[in-house]
Amino acid sequence: MNKLRIGFLLVLTLLAGLAHADRLDDIKKAGVLRIAAFDSNPPFGFIDPTTKQTVGLDVDYGKAFADKLGVKLEILSTNPANRIPLLTSNKVDLVLANFTITDERAKQVNFSIPYFASGQQFIAKKGVLKSPDQLNSLRIGVDKGTTNEIVLREKYPSATLVAYDDTPFAFTALRNGNVQAITQDGPKLIGLLANVPDKENYEIPPFSISDDLIGVGIPKGETALTEFVNETLRELEANGQAQKIYDAWFGPHTKTPLARIYKIGDKS
Amino acid sequence: MLFDSLLAPKYLGWLLDGFVVTVVLSALTCASATALGFVLCLGRIARSPFWSLPVRFFLSLFRNTPLLVQLFFWYFGAAALMPESVLHWLNQPHHWRLPLFGVTWPPFEYVAGFFGLTLYTAAFIAEEFRAGVQGVPPGQARAALALGLRRYQVWLSVIMPQAVRISLPPLLGQYMNAVKNSSLTMAIGLAELSYASRQVETETFKTFQAFGIATLLYIGLIVLIELAGQWIQHRQPAH
Repeated sequence: MNKLRIGFLLVLTLLAGLAHADRLDDIKKAGVLRIAAFDSNPPFGFIDPTTKQTVGLDVDYGKAFADKLGVKLEILSTNPANRIPLLTSNKVDLVLANFTITDERAKQVNFSIPYFASGQQFIAKKGVLKSPDQLNSLRIGVDKGTTNEIVLREKYPSATLVAYDDTPFAFTALRNGNVQAITQDGPKLIGLLANVPDKENYEIPPFSISDDLIGVGIPKGETALTEFVNETLRELEANGQAQKIYDAWFGPHTKTPLARIYKIGDKS
Repeated sequence: MLFDSLLAPKYLGWLLDGFVVTVVLSALTCASATALGFVLCLGRIARSPFWSLPVRFFLSLFRNTPLLVQLFFWYFGAAALMPESVLHWLNQPHHWRLPLFGVTWPPFEYVAGFFGLTLYTAAFIAEEFRAGVQGVPPGQARAALALGLRRYQVWLSVIMPQAVRISLPPLLGQYMNAVKNSSLTMAIGLAELSYASRQVETETFKTFQAFGIATLLYIGLIVLIELAGQWIQHRQPAH
């Protein structure tokens, strides 16, 4: 039975190899899964100060994929604007970097089913920002190359946007008073605020201006790899692993407690 | 198909807005850096160490550190040192009505970007001027003094005209550098041409078109400086 299975698999891989080289096979052959993750966006991807390793929710999902494949995990650091180029230039196999699914991006890359959902929220000094209407008259810091920038410009055309290279820079600008608010996905802002020494001066006003679904970025046209990622994600939700990963970063005992409102498979 | 691969007018408008900012920023930087560079050059060649030592220190500090770090320092670092009230004033829009035209105080990105670029460029221009002054044979100054000219006359009619001509080509090179260096201000959120091209790329994913047009605009600006330089050098009377 087992021998038959292996033989069948061998024939299949041979046939697949003849048809066209498949990224999923390449990964298995190389024994390494290369993912791109953030290195300064807790709790999605950041450098652990004690171990000096990249860790986070995105990285944990990457580990789960690598474990299922039985290959080693290699993590490349990325910033928001580099995510698509890394995939199209074949530098990584998957992008797990808080990657919001959009139609525009889906023209360039394949997306998995969403494994996380978040809304675009704001950080401001306490008392400055109370309702979304005020956004039109404020200077707001955004991260270059993110959907946050695009959504904000579409919904609040009179707001003045200043784009920075990443969220820590935007936050410094907020602290210096160059901008009155900065915007990012809610969970990322909570993660950022948790590490701020004077966090009592800032707040995340309780409204969001969008609902973003976060997926795994996969090279365009890699059907087998996309199937594998989707299947693994559903499995992780079914066996409770997804909840464990979530609790490790957003559970009630973490620095960034946030209720889990989205489960894998809720939307696709 | 052809229209698919072009940029929508809205995005061309963004690039053009960015280009205008780049042109204005570069022009202001070049003008003020030339004036400041001239003063620094005088300080640098002064005989008294009271003037030359601080200027030497300034020049080596600004010439030997990366411009990007300097821009971060002025925008993020210096801002953190300023008192809250000063910072608040700098970040607010201000408008003054003068007899002929109104003046609007720009956002802090523009102030910090202009300031950082000017200091950096001035440090290089000062050394170009010094090279020009030293390129005039010292015998000429002595001869002019021996003929009875006063020191300021020697400077104005013997050294300066020659020094300016010697330092003109490298000076234009510095102007071109200033144009290219202005692209670094995108890191502090200044909406110049590189910033605009990055934004267009983000929204349209038309990477080649966005950066291609930006490149052409930069080349156009550099070519203009080059042509202006050739024209000026052509007009100078031959000796």
